[in-house]
Amino acid sequence: MSSTTAFTRRGFLSASAAVGGAIAATPLLAACGNSAGKGGASTKQGIQAVLPTYKPLTGGATPDFPSVTGAAGAITNPGFLKYPTTLPKTVTGKVGSGGTYTGVAPSWNPIPPASNSYYDAVNKAIGATFKSQPGNGNTYSTIIPPLIAANKLPDWLQVPGWMVSTFNIGGLVGTKLADLTPYLGGDAVLEYPNLAAIPTGGWQCGVWNNRLYGIPCHTDGMGTAGAIFYRKDVLDAKGITPAVKTAADYKALGQELNDPKGGVWAFEDSRVYLYQVFKVPLGNWYLDGGKVKTAYDHPQLLECLNFCADLAKAGLIHPDSLAGVQASNPSRFNAGKTLIEGGGLGAWNDGDAKTGIAAKPGYLRQAFPLFSHDGSTPTVTLTGSSGWVSYLNKDLNPDQIKECLRIANYFAAPFGSYEYNLINFGVEGVHYTMSPDGPVRTAEGSNTAADQIYNFFGSAQQQLYNAGYPDITKANAEWYADAVKYATPQLFRNLNITVPDQYSKIAAGTEVEDAANAVARGKQPMSHYQDAVATWKSAGGDALATWYQANVVDKGLA
Amino acid sequence: MAVMADSAAVPEEARPGPQAPLRERGGGDQAPVKQRRISFRVRLRRDKSLLVMVIPTMLVLLVFNYLPMFGTVSAFEYYDPIYGFFHSNFIGMQNFNQLFADSAFWHAFQNTLVLSLVQLILYFPVPIALAILLNTVLSTKLRSFIQAVVYLPHFFSWVLVITIFNQMLGGAGLLNQFLRQHHMATWDIMTNGGMFKYLITFQAVWKEAGWGIIVFLAALAAIDPALYESAAVDGAGRWRRMWHITLPGMRGMIVLMLVLRLGNALNVGFEQMLIQRQAVGPQHAEVLDTFAYYYGVTGNNFGYGAAAGLFKGVISLILIYAANKAAHRLGEDGLYRK
Repeated sequence: MSSTTAFTRRGFLSASAAVGGAIAATPLLAACGNSAGKGGASTKQGIQAVLPTYKPLTGGATPDFPSVTGAAGAITNPGFLKYPTTLPKTVTGKVGSGGTYTGVAPSWNPIPPASNSYYDAVNKAIGATFKSQPGNGNTYSTIIPPLIAANKLPDWLQVPGWMVSTFNIGGLVGTKLADLTPYLGGDAVLEYPNLAAIPTGGWQCGVWNNRLYGIPCHTDGMGTAGAIFYRKDVLDAKGITPAVKTAADYKALGQELNDPKGGVWAFEDSRVYLYQVFKVPLGNWYLDGGKVKTAYDHPQLLECLNFCADLAKAGLIHPDSLAGVQASNPSRFNAGKTLIEGGGLGAWNDGDAKTGIAAKPGYLRQAFPLFSHDGSTPTVTLTGSSGWVSYLNKDLNPDQIKECLRIANYFAAPFGSYEYNLINFGVEGVHYTMSPDGPVRTAEGSNTAADQIYNFFGSAQQQLYNAGYPDITKANAEWYADAVKYATPQLFRNLNITVPDQYSKIAAGTEVEDAANAVARGKQPMSHYQDAVATWKSAGGDALATWYQANVVDKGLA
Repeated sequence: MAVMADSAAVPEEARPGPQAPLRERGGGDQAPVKQRRISFRVRLRRDKSLLVMVIPTMLVLLVFNYLPMFGTVSAFEYYDPIYGFFHSNFIGMQNFNQLFADSAFWHAFQNTLVLSLVQLILYFPVPIALAILLNTVLSTKLRSFIQAVVYLPHFFSWVLVITIFNQMLGGAGLLNQFLRQHHMATWDIMTNGGMFKYLITFQAVWKEAGWGIIVFLAALAAIDPALYESAAVDGAGRWRRMWHITLPGMRGMIVLMLVLRLGNALNVGFEQMLIQRQAVGPQHAEVLDTFAYYYGVTGNNFGYGAAAGLFKGVISLILIYAANKAAHRLGEDGLYRK
């Protein structure tokens, strides 16, 4: 399980905005899953001892929005308005030595033919045969366990953060997945410069029981729970410039926009995204005077639920959203049936713009600058640095592992490099043509290179870039540059913790989340939620807090 | 339907076939004797082609119904798919202890019983009434047309059916938008917890009642038309004919369907509940199946879910046994003839 390995924005690029939003909510909700065994976590010294040395790359493309360092070590991802025109090489010398490796990763795109010109081009560049075997992203959690059970794990496996517990990675590391500490720990990583440039937080997501097992992908310098978005085009047309500084402002804006007779409601049900506004500790746990406490009965959470119920009862939330009816492609927000919604930052990209513009020309999504319920200084919670970690099979011999790591180093080439371009777009003239907005895929490229599967095995720190939509990149970068000042890490961030079996039902907290939903949607009184929390605590919630205290906090990890 | 086929087959074997008395009578000079039990070999020879035909079904049952039953062992484990049944931690009755102390579980159980009862009372008579009505339509063309129309929703998935309901009756659906635009109070149908049991029964009727008439139509077709004719000649009106001919003619089938229905009482529609659980909340829509799913599968707590499922299976078995016993007491066949 992992209480903290969360998601990065990058992962949502391939999913639709609505799906992205739904997934983004998960890290807030997901508690620790179970795994066989007694449970446990790394130690602080143990983690420090195995983490690779961080060494940023020099040279390369100059971002239009350089990284901004903020509170709690958060660093925003660099932003690029235009695709770089010169593409320097970052990998010199021989990469592969002719080995053949199969890699399994989830894909939310049409699966390309097993053998195609794009794969051939990449294989030629890496000097090895990398057999990509994408699995359907929507059923990935059911595809992998049988492979594990049958002892048929591929050479290289991608494990999304929210499936860590399903696959019981805590039980697989060391027995079926290779220990990479000797190859990457400390200065050893410097042999792979692109991997050494991955921020340390990402590597921490690959540490289990004081050893380094995973290669972080799509590492985010500032993974956050999300933001609250509004339809800027619609508000502009109404002549409204939102100045939302408090929860009351938020509600007042909703009342101004709400038009049920016209089939337009102000809000989507955004409970989990309003937690941040109300300063509810995210990730279900927080420290109070050195003691682990559940966030379920945090006073701010109760206040947030009351506020949500108030919005629901005032008829400001779309009835289908209150009924839990999902809509996607286009979402209600895309289609203009709701004007304000919470969502992961991944929802704010070129793909969303395309879907939105197809539904209504002029579609424009914008995030409210961070605000807090009472107008005090807002906070933004830092979630896991990498929600996508790849693992190598333990059956590989040391030479093979080194070859795979050289390949990972190739895959992890930064934005604007020759290698990045090849990995993501293929060969110019065959898979893409260069336009002022960057590479545009040809029909061949769309059929073969569109799933960006290689980045699930290794990738550089993320960047902001939206081909053809520089305004989105600009707005995104500005939002981050503002928000980074208020960053606070959630408890257990970037820690892989295995919770003992007997707590697995409690850790899932299903009944509490159900009750929170019922109250926030105005269907049940607050006492309903409080009762659920009280039952949960006595049924094991308190015991779980004690376990965290003894095994994580008292060991100096959080 | 498989059970029905079995029930038809069992009596054939249990009592002497129609040939036996004929043969005995054909013997002429032999005195009438007590029915002899036919030897196993004779029966085997007689039924061999039937037995061969039943093999594929038995195999399917074995592979897909009986072999997976070994999986119930996970109800006694902290089951972990990675370690499998043999290597997961065995914990005895611990899942059940936790389950029986879990108020959410008993709530789901209660919901299941209530929803099942409401469906039994409101849904069960509908296909019977429909079949009788349809039987009175004389024009075969019109009858086939109606049949096609009422069968069709059976082939829709629940997602589609509920989407249609939501588009029509939901908070932002056709009805409520109409009411809203005409300055009338809106009608909360899809998210009203108190009405949920009626809503899902209505949905079930809309989707399945048409399909449910098939077996009853078959029962009606088996009634000898001469009975109606002679009753009519004797001056029996429509109602008397229905009461004294149609309903008695269908009685065996109605009881059989009722027994099957009771055995299935705890299956109140997993998909239907799953899709609408968010709309009315688990306090109204959580049933044993969704409980096993949410607390077992999505919580990665397979053993716990399996325990809930096993409990449900045992209760269902008791129900079907009791219903079958009751049918025999009433002199009906039930699942098989005694």
